Amino acid sequence: MDTTNIITIPQSNKKPRKWKFSELLADHGVHQRWEKVRKFFFLRESTYDMTNLCNIRCDGCYYYEGDKQFAQGNENPEAWRKLMQEEKARGITYVVLAGAEPSMVPELLEVCYQEMPIGCIATNGVKRIPESVGYKIHISVWGNDKTSLRVRRAKNLLLKQIDNYRGDPRAVFVYTFTRDNIDEMHEVMESIVAHDCKITFNVFSSPVGYTGSLRHNRNSLERTRKVMLDLLAKYPGHVLFSPYNVVAHTHHYGLHKLYGCSYPRRNPSTDIGLGRSFRQYRADLSWDRDVACCVPDTDCDECRHYASGSAVVTARLYRHVTDPDTFKSWLDYVDTYLAVWVKGYEKGDNLCHELIAPPL
Amino acid sequence: MPVSTDNKALIIRIAEIIISELKLEDITPETFDPALDLVDELGVDSMDLATVVLVLQDEYGITIDEDDYPKLRNIRMIAEYIEQKRNA
Repeated sequence: MDTTNIITIPQSNKKPRKWKFSELLADHGVHQRWEKVRKFFFLRESTYDMTNLCNIRCDGCYYYEGDKQFAQGNENPEAWRKLMQEEKARGITYVVLAGAEPSMVPELLEVCYQEMPIGCIATNGVKRIPESVGYKIHISVWGNDKTSLRVRRAKNLLLKQIDNYRGDPRAVFVYTFTRDNIDEMHEVMESIVAHDCKITFNVFSSPVGYTGSLRHNRNSLERTRKVMLDLLAKYPGHVLFSPYNVVAHTHHYGLHKLYGCSYPRRNPSTDIGLGRSFRQYRADLSWDRDVACCVPDTDCDECRHYASGSAVVTARLYRHVTDPDTFKSWLDYVDTYLAVWVKGYEKGDNLCHELIAPPL
Repeated sequence: MPVSTDNKALIIRIAEIIISELKLEDITPETFDPALDLVDELGVDSMDLATVVLVLQDEYGITIDEDDYPKLRNIRMIAEYIEQKRNA
């Protein structure tokens, strides 16, 4: 299937039918999926840099951009416990524990988990996080081992990651497609499948000012789209993704232009939603609304990050209740995001297999 | 401001929809304070509100723009918004 130019808004002389929400829910499978995903509408996230320590150093790393890298790490477990209690009190129900490398401070992860039981840890997977920390764990993969050695200065990284997390229900491997690792994904996928691991896809989103070779262009996005679709078709049991995820993350427009980013950095409204509740804490437990988003220091116009999409696309429910395929695509996207981010949530089969244009 | 009979019925129906969609317990349409701030006092978030809006659109045959969500702070404001839309 040639998917190069398929993502276009269909042209029609007929005025499209206006669907009622109740009509969209009349389909049994759609209704079931809606009821399944809406149970998780209570999730309200904030993100936390856990430390300024890391055990590897990667090209294009988001943590070592901007001011946050200079924050003095707070390694007092009781300070973290108090923060989590305060976060819970202001309505936060989901934590994303990230930068620089959370596995360097396992005692802090334990404290967070004791206070806030739903969340996720973004790790490079070099050091195993204790099983007592029951969060979802995202293990970042940036290419095959040869590329990892070059870009991340880490030897046999994928093997180490798989050794640490094979058979672990917390684990989801996250493959970041850069401009120069697209074709390596097939090789990585073989290892993932051979060890029966789960994987989802991310698209490299340049930090502000980054001009290196990882930055995508229109051609590399189209190549990425093809590989994603191939792997999704070939390994549906191992790939947590949907056709609409492919559309949203490989479109030549970034997520902000397609959906309007709802994180504070790009959203001045404090009325409701992420603009009201989201905070991005630095390792010293300070936060600044003006720079708060899920991957700070990303160039917003280039942002196709999987974490961003999970919130931004999901929040645009209203725009996706236009017709059955668009609504099914949105449901697939939300079902995927929940399977990637919530431990114990099982992804269903995708409901829409067409590539649906984002409702602009 | 006096509440008309029609407006009172509308307020009760909106309360029913919110209670049903958000699966609220320990509250009835009659005891639901129409001035209760849905976000600050009830803890309604954007996804909850979007769900309620979709059902209201179906029920009253109106379109509620995303930009108008901040105007829907309580049941009384929602009722006034719906009446304005229906009379427009």
